[in-house]
Amino acid sequence: MTLSRKCVPFTPFEGNLSKSTIAIVSAGGVHLKDQEPFNIADELGDLSYRVFTNEVNSSDLKVTHHHYDHSDADKDINVVFPIDVLRDLQTEEFIGGIARKHVGYMGYTMQLKAMYEGTAREIANEIDKGSRADAVVLTGG
Amino acid sequence: MKGIPTVLITVSPEVSAQMRPPRALYPNGFKNGNSLGKPGMRELQRSVLRDALSLLTIDTRPGEVVTRDYPDYGDYHEPPRVRKASKTDA
Repeated sequence: MTLSRKCVPFTPFEGNLSKSTIAIVSAGGVHLKDQEPFNIADELGDLSYRVFTNEVNSSDLKVTHHHYDHSDADKDINVVFPIDVLRDLQTEEFIGGIARKHVGYMGYTMQLKAMYEGTAREIANEIDKGSRADAVVLTGG
Repeated sequence: MKGIPTVLITVSPEVSAQMRPPRALYPNGFKNGNSLGKPGMRELQRSVLRDALSLLTIDTRPGEVVTRDYPDYGDYHEPPRVRKASKTDA
């Protein structure tokens, strides 16, 4: 197994979960039904991402991704994008709140440099500047 | 930017470990497409998400994936393996 030569980008978590606001960033190809689907026809992958607000209705989300079986996510998006689960944890006061912005992208690309230096940074900026998140849960497919 | 704490939920622990995530949870035996469990199993999904978020608050070893068992999931799926690097890859 070849480990990444990059250092582990570890940011300490300082605070209390019950007072913290959490965002979700998913590589599972999640997007709103009225947003442009990810371009699965491009063999190099789609480097774009989609942003959702904290008011997103889980039934308005869908998956466009052809590198995993998303039939279960088609029935319940929470298996890859746990927005309703996060709301449950807010209700039970396990977390403090739901971040203003959440992100979906398609976690498959042959353009690793562009993903790492472009898309990933743009998503991080989106979350850092617009979501007021104290921490992020990352999910794949 | 000072950085944002993250925790990953992965169903491909060996693949994810290559990227050395700062914190990661592998729900043992969950298949691809079931990061939080199966559709409608909300209590199981809550357990997985609570455990993932809790990794933010404990001393984990950055770059390692923590495995937890969730018997309620029912099935066991072998996770994808990483192809061994050949000499030319080293």
